Amino acid sequence: MRLLTSITLLLALLLGAAGASAQEIGFSAQVDRNAIATGEYVKYTVNLTNSRERIESPSLGGLMVVQGPFDNSSFTIINGRMSGSTSRTWVLTATAPGKYTIGPARVRVGGGVIETEPITIEVTKGASQHSDPNATQGQSRDPNLFTTITLSKSKAYVGEQIVATYMLYSRYNSLETTKSDMPKLDGFWAENVELGETSWDPQLSTVNGLQYRTAVLKKQVLFPQKPGKQRIAPFTMECVVNRSFFNRGSAVEIRSNAAEVTVMALPPNAPPSFKGAVGELEMVVKADRTEVKANEAIELTVTYAGKGNLKLMDAPAFDFPGDFETYDPKVTDKISVSGSGMSGSRSYQYLVIPRHEGEFRLAPVEFSYFDTRSGSYRTVSGPALTVQVSPGDGGSAMIQRPNKSDVQVLGKDIRYIRTGDLGLHAADGHLFGSLPWLAGMGAPALGFILFLGWRRKREAQLRDVAGSRRKQADRVARKRLNEAGQALNNSDRAAFYDALGKALHGYIGDKFGLGPAEITAPRLREHFARYTGGEQVATEYIRMIEACDMARYAPVEDRPRQQLYDEAAALIGRTEQLVRS
Amino acid sequence: MRTFALSLLLLATVPGMAMTRVEADSLAAQGSRAYAAGDHAAALALFDSAATAFTSPALLYNIGNCHFKLNDIPHAILYFERALRLAPGDADVQTNLELARQNVVDRVNELPGFSLGSTWSRIRGGRDADQWARRSLWACLAFFVALAAAVAMRQRTARRSLFALSGLLFIGTALSIAFAAFRHKEVTDQSEAIIMSAKVDVRSEPRDGSTVLFVLHKGTKVTILQQDNAWSEVQLANGSVGWMPPASLERI
Repeated sequence: MRLLTSITLLLALLLGAAGASAQEIGFSAQVDRNAIATGEYVKYTVNLTNSRERIESPSLGGLMVVQGPFDNSSFTIINGRMSGSTSRTWVLTATAPGKYTIGPARVRVGGGVIETEPITIEVTKGASQHSDPNATQGQSRDPNLFTTITLSKSKAYVGEQIVATYMLYSRYNSLETTKSDMPKLDGFWAENVELGETSWDPQLSTVNGLQYRTAVLKKQVLFPQKPGKQRIAPFTMECVVNRSFFNRGSAVEIRSNAAEVTVMALPPNAPPSFKGAVGELEMVVKADRTEVKANEAIELTVTYAGKGNLKLMDAPAFDFPGDFETYDPKVTDKISVSGSGMSGSRSYQYLVIPRHEGEFRLAPVEFSYFDTRSGSYRTVSGPALTVQVSPGDGGSAMIQRPNKSDVQVLGKDIRYIRTGDLGLHAADGHLFGSLPWLAGMGAPALGFILFLGWRRKREAQLRDVAGSRRKQADRVARKRLNEAGQALNNSDRAAFYDALGKALHGYIGDKFGLGPAEITAPRLREHFARYTGGEQVATEYIRMIEACDMARYAPVEDRPRQQLYDEAAALIGRTEQLVRS
Repeated sequence: MRTFALSLLLLATVPGMAMTRVEADSLAAQGSRAYAAGDHAAALALFDSAATAFTSPALLYNIGNCHFKLNDIPHAILYFERALRLAPGDADVQTNLELARQNVVDRVNELPGFSLGSTWSRIRGGRDADQWARRSLWACLAFFVALAAAVAMRQRTARRSLFALSGLLFIGTALSIAFAAFRHKEVTDQSEAIIMSAKVDVRSEPRDGSTVLFVLHKGTKVTILQQDNAWSEVQLANGSVGWMPPASLERI
């Protein structure tokens, strides 16, 4: 019984104490720290004790509310004394360094107003900012709603793929976009990434301590087409925020940052087979078979695979033998455009039909691309394929005749140089008109003239011989006639006829320039015919020679020797007269 | 090999040191080998050095080929034209010249000319520029020998036929001299030229700033009518005439 009495007493005491202290109202504000870095949080708590009035929120002086305000009330009775306290807590942060002052929080108690002391927070620049600088920049434009363009690379080669992401950051609960203008892309070849319906990312993201709902508006794979600084213009969006059943909301126009990328030109030492492929690529060349019969088809597949602009790839430069029938390749694309860029494969499928048997070598296909990993050109060579074509199935009933076809002109080139002896001659000398040529032309003429001169001289000489003979003819004949006269006196018959014959022959030979064998009747008549009355003398002379020769070689004398001698002397004299006249 | 060729080349280019025919032949043979190996630049240097003192249609043709392979079309055309002038009607040269001309931008419609075909050009041109001159020498010699024989001959029929022969030979001599003179004029004619500049404005007067009549491009053949103050008055194959600034032409 005594125990019960004492507990009641204790309770009464406790309640009494509580009732006594309920009259003192405390109101204070505090922060967990006074200096933060951007992106860090500060907890700001306002405490109100022994009052249950509503606390008016202070002006936060530019600080952002990350969380809160959270209200917390407690009511305790200690030793019968009741105490109540209410606290309101904000988690705040700042995006920019500086001094921020949280204004006084107020509470109305009874007729008066109690204020807390203002608190100054020093915000320094954060050591490292992990978040996107574009987002930070966007946040500084409007911390509640902004958009960004983010490129995956700030430096790229021409043709190297860049992923551009268009993001929306929002801290509003409700947001409707009414209009969006996506930027025009100059100097890029763009491929959109299929994203489906635009939706909020389930994960909140934090930018400088502020949490945002984010949505990817658009993703593009860009292939820069020309070197230099390329700029992507900002895009604009019109949104209506905070629209609710009770509120028409407010329209906001937002503008993203402009993105810039430095596009580097490809190095100049491009291999000849380079046709503009850039990326991380490989090539596979496959033939479904290499041993066929004529007129059977071979399927050749060239597959380019990897990351890069596969859609801009060219067909491989296959160099098929001339009498292979080829068709345009079938192109199969397995290309996916995703957030990591364009990747996949592109295949060129060639249908080739060899028309004639034989062994054909297909030159390896060369493929060059610019490797963005190593920043250099790389050339991949396919295998050298050898196609063995055996004679086709002709069938025994069919006579196979090769199809006649024109010789195909496969290439055009200049004809080959001349080899061997080039027939060189001095460059500056022309034979025509030169001194040797003139000499060559003149020499035969000169020779001819000399020849003519020599000939004339010789003829003159010959003529001179005949002339002297003619001149001497009379004298020589007289000398021979004298010899004959002596022989006549000596009665030497042989000597007489010999001398007389010589005188007649010699005279006429000398006179007409004739040799001993040329003294014939026709020749004498010919020569005598030149003179008037020559015929008669000729006849007499011929008769005289005949008579003389007859007597000389035969013992016949038709007249006395003295008469013959006189007649001969007279005849020579008459001839002399005739020829002289 | 290359250094040897280069030293030979240096030797060949030292002025005052006459190159012998054997040296030139050796240079040309090395050039042919370099060309066969695909080293067209070296082949060109070797052929060029051989061409400093010696020439022949085949050598000029080879030089033209080298220029063509080095993608210097105007020079290729220049040398093919030179080769063709020495050996008119040469099928290889004509083919290559035609191929080279396909790379020329300007298409000039030639005025219809008088042509008797390639057989005539071969007869007219002979194997080289001096062939007709040599022929004229032989014909002249044969004519006088026949004439002398005719004069010396006593027998009447032999004498007559020899006179007839010498008459024919006289006609032959006269013709070959005429051909040689014609060829000489043709070969030494410097009036034709090939445009070497990528683009030339052909103007109405020989000074900058006068009216541009037409624009020509490298590789086009023109005929130089006269020169004034290093400017050349040129005529195109279609008859157009205008003035061209200096250093845009190279004479064939």
